[in-house]
Amino acid sequence: MDKNELYGKIADAVVEMEDEEVVELCQIAIDEGFDAAEVIKEALIKGMDKVSELYETGEYFLPEVLTASFALNEGVDLLKPHMKQETTSEKVKVVIGVVEGDTHDIGKNLVKIMCESAGFEVHDLGRDVPIDEFIRVAKEVEADFICMSTLMTTTMAGMKLLIEKLKEEGIRDKFMVMIGGGPISQKFCDEIGADAYTTDAAAAVRKMKELKGIA
Amino acid sequence: MENKERITSIIQKKKHDRPACICPGGMMNMVTTQLLTEGNFSFEEAHTDGEKMAQVAEYAYDRGCFENVGVPFCMTVEAEQLGAKVDLGDNTKEPRVIEYGMKKLEEVDGLPTFDLEHGRIKAIIDAIRIMKKDKPDVPVVGNITGPISTATSVIDPSPFYAGLRKKGELCHRFLAHVTKELIRFGQAMVEAGADIIMIADPSATGEILGPKFFEEFTVTYLNELIDGVKAINPDVVTIVHICGQMTPVLEQTDHIKSDVLSFDAMVPLKEIRKYMKDRPIMGNVSTYAIEGQTPDKVKQLVHHCVEQGMDIISPACGLGMGSPLANVQAVLQGTEEEATCP
Repeated sequence: MDKNELYGKIADAVVEMEDEEVVELCQIAIDEGFDAAEVIKEALIKGMDKVSELYETGEYFLPEVLTASFALNEGVDLLKPHMKQETTSEKVKVVIGVVEGDTHDIGKNLVKIMCESAGFEVHDLGRDVPIDEFIRVAKEVEADFICMSTLMTTTMAGMKLLIEKLKEEGIRDKFMVMIGGGPISQKFCDEIGADAYTTDAAAAVRKMKELKGIA
Repeated sequence: MENKERITSIIQKKKHDRPACICPGGMMNMVTTQLLTEGNFSFEEAHTDGEKMAQVAEYAYDRGCFENVGVPFCMTVEAEQLGAKVDLGDNTKEPRVIEYGMKKLEEVDGLPTFDLEHGRIKAIIDAIRIMKKDKPDVPVVGNITGPISTATSVIDPSPFYAGLRKKGELCHRFLAHVTKELIRFGQAMVEAGADIIMIADPSATGEILGPKFFEEFTVTYLNELIDGVKAINPDVVTIVHICGQMTPVLEQTDHIKSDVLSFDAMVPLKEIRKYMKDRPIMGNVSTYAIEGQTPDKVKQLVHHCVEQGMDIISPACGLGMGSPLANVQAVLQGTEEEATCP
């Protein structure tokens, strides 16, 4: 099969959330000897980009995004063993979690999915995460981004505290801090000196790409 | 007008002096840290002991917060009955699920039933009975976590939401079981004396599900639950609260059969009225304002809600535990001021 045609079909299968078809088509790509990393980037992720678009325009909702991302992951799992090792070093690394005291994590999960779909390496700390834990893991994995979310006003103070702690340790410029969630606003983001705030998951990933200078 | 009479008049669309002002409990818990401190209560005890639970709810009422009493103060007891592990928190944190009861949707057939005779769920029924006796003129609210919000506290929400698309039949079986148990819980509340059954289903919002699944899953099981509760007493008032941006699914929301619908702060009443002309609507004073603004600002928001034609004034979502008492009290004070302006 023609490469571009195959990649187009894989992308469509992701958009249509057809996991079995994604796997079948990725197997064809492997059999044809196409570059696994290229299949992920030019086929699977292109499909997921389209899913993000449909989500932003209100045609897709969370169940569709999740199902499509599961289909994408099955393709990635199949392709991974065929990938050459060295490509992973330039991956954007993200540490993400819901700040201490808050157990709402739907928005965080969505950002996580969108990040993974964009090919980022995501370290998900879950919900009700202590501020120090964000910093510890971010240092450990040498993260590019620390992403914090909340749905409660009481936990907003934790976001400010994290930035202060980074400053105290003299490592503020090592990480970009992104925040999100119901009570958060651009004004609050500016006040506490975070690097970015976005209103939804798709925008968050776009912002990260912009900040990292990735098209 | 007595509080109970006013609510009844609103539901039956009879004449009344002003909107009612309630904060039901459950997800929309009215108890704040300041209230617990001033009343010298342990929130943890109030989650487990029926007598203490009733005392805390009655204390909130006596301190001029809202025109109802209601229990419980969390939305974890239903999931706990189905196998989730719960951390009860403390005076600054509400209880929350810390471990899911099931890992895969396929485990649905092994789910337990509610044991209404023991533990925290019994304490809730006891508290309702006590409050009914102590405060016969005050509406007693029994709170239930809605089917989808209960389900997504028993299993990680991601496989559940994805399952709606690929494993619809399993999700239906799961929700049917959850709903059946919630009905038993709701009926026990009504038998104990609850005047109002409040169902909060934040995780069932159309913002997450989209219109198709909202109709197929949210509306279906909420209506089953409402019918089940009304089956033992048709006079019990039912309220459904759903969080988030509901504007794209208002048409479907109108299919929910509750007497009252309650909305989050970002849903404008003007939009709601396009679909629900004379259904009593409850809402939607911003909880962010109640937590972070002044009493005057809160009152302004209340007046705005009343002007727009809100029938029952309430916080738009769960109150932050750190909300200043004066701001919480301002919701009722603002509503009371409305009685004098015709």
